[in-house]
Amino acid sequence: MSQTITAAHSAAIDALHSAYLAALDKGDMAAWASTFAADNARYFCVSTENDRRGLPLALMYDDCRGRIDDRVSFVTKVWAGTYEPYRTRHFIQRLSCEAAGNNQYRVTSGFTIMMSAEGGTTAVLTSGEYRDLIEIQGDSAVFCERRAVYDADVLPRYIVFPF
Amino acid sequence: MTSQYIGNPAIGSPTGNYTGKAPAVWPAKVNQIPKEVFGDKSLFEDELKNIFYGDCWHVVGHFAEIPNAGDFKTFDLGRVPLLIARGKDNQVRVFYNTCTHRGNQLEVATSGNRKEFECPYHRWLFSLDGALAACPGSKEFAPDFKQENFGLMEVKSAQFMGIIFVTMGKNTPPLTEWLGDVVPPTLSTLLGGDGRLKLLGYQKVRYDSNWKGYNDNDGYHAPMLHTAFRLLNWQGGTTGFQRMTKNGHVVFEAELKAIQNNGFVNDPSLVEFKGSDPAKGSRIVQLFPATVMVKHLDIINLRFAMARSHDVTEVHYAYFAHEDDDEAMVQHRIRQSSNLLGPCGMISMEDAAIFQRIHIGNQTPGFAEFQKGVTSLSEVPMDVKQNDETGNLPRWEHYRKVMGFKREGEK
Repeated sequence: MSQTITAAHSAAIDALHSAYLAALDKGDMAAWASTFAADNARYFCVSTENDRRGLPLALMYDDCRGRIDDRVSFVTKVWAGTYEPYRTRHFIQRLSCEAAGNNQYRVTSGFTIMMSAEGGTTAVLTSGEYRDLIEIQGDSAVFCERRAVYDADVLPRYIVFPF
Repeated sequence: MTSQYIGNPAIGSPTGNYTGKAPAVWPAKVNQIPKEVFGDKSLFEDELKNIFYGDCWHVVGHFAEIPNAGDFKTFDLGRVPLLIARGKDNQVRVFYNTCTHRGNQLEVATSGNRKEFECPYHRWLFSLDGALAACPGSKEFAPDFKQENFGLMEVKSAQFMGIIFVTMGKNTPPLTEWLGDVVPPTLSTLLGGDGRLKLLGYQKVRYDSNWKGYNDNDGYHAPMLHTAFRLLNWQGGTTGFQRMTKNGHVVFEAELKAIQNNGFVNDPSLVEFKGSDPAKGSRIVQLFPATVMVKHLDIINLRFAMARSHDVTEVHYAYFAHEDDDEAMVQHRIRQSSNLLGPCGMISMEDAAIFQRIHIGNQTPGFAEFQKGVTSLSEVPMDVKQNDETGNLPRWEHYRKVMGFKREGEK
């Protein structure tokens, strides 16, 4: 871990991660979107296979703030009432944190997502790695970019919520 | 030299005689499909014999996935592992993915590039064209051993505009005959006119669904399911059609109507058409038994489906650009393809939900009932309207015949 990070910045990054996980585990898409920078934010969810082979296609490709807000509408308005409900628990572990200048940090974390289908048992959805560009704004932190690279070559179901 | 194996003697030949528990008699009404066919484990074994290892062509990939000499991908046809490789001579060949010595799985990677394929067990080495190039210690092999007889077993393959088809059947008709006259024009437009594609990437997913349930609901269907169409005030074109073939294929063509941005999406580029001809905007080709291919807006999407079991279907959504695209068009295709038509796509996530929900519902007694467009209870319709669900019925009729189910009252 970089020597240059202050305790306050480290705590802000931890709090951002917690807010992100809490939002998804509650299924609160608006709270999910609010963890991203108000403008110029990006979210990608992509398979390890595409990532490793340099194939640009993603499962979710939100390369501007508008698309992040549109993803909230997909889940809460477009898809409402059609999909089989499932709840998730996300677990993460920070792997690295490097200062990137201008109050920004490049942070990587391992993640695991457990899923519990309505009326069903709990199973692993997938694991993977978050590759983030995080900016400290005042006392808190936001994602400028989050890239969730998931491990499964084949996902065990169709996907509603971001990773 | 590669040994030419057409059909796999170990698996046996198609019988046409159903031996499982599903209905011995198929209902007389052509718009009823017995739900038992979606949930019967033993029926799946007969489907493997009669369909997947039988006299049908199966889509397993596209040339653009393996553009360079030495590129390969692996794929399964039923339970049979395949190795699809491009040789130094630029030929694409499909092999059984097994060493010809003791039968060890030869290649474990899903894709990659190799100079040759080496089995780690006894170091047998195969060239990209399948020939056995080296086999250490062969002086002590059986008296009748000849190295040239132990090339990789090649599966019969054919291609249409780069789409790779395979068959293990002994009496499969030529691919041109199998596709017929109806499929090629639509498929050609779907593939950008010539099939010169560039791979953008994959979305791979398993559905808890019988392969027939997947296929029955992944092609064209009435737009009522898709809230996105209503929210976007997106009306389908009225100039389209769907056509079927007697051997179970369906093609669908529609003109694209531009959507008026009503402010529902912040980034309307998701549903923007940047291609040149709206008349060629929407195409779907559904090939018996399990393949669906789609061009919608600027998305070119081939869905390589694998029937894993009676209740699991795996689908590899592969997306492509065209070789002649400029950089801006490629970027547009990447952005649109990622978010619109896959297992997490704005329009199509709901389809995926239906595959699984319909599979659960199909475990109950009775029939899947087709209604919209049914004009006769005794004649399988070959002339249907764009939004009719009856377009699926000729495929069911073909399935019934291939599987040897007798219709009620049929002698």
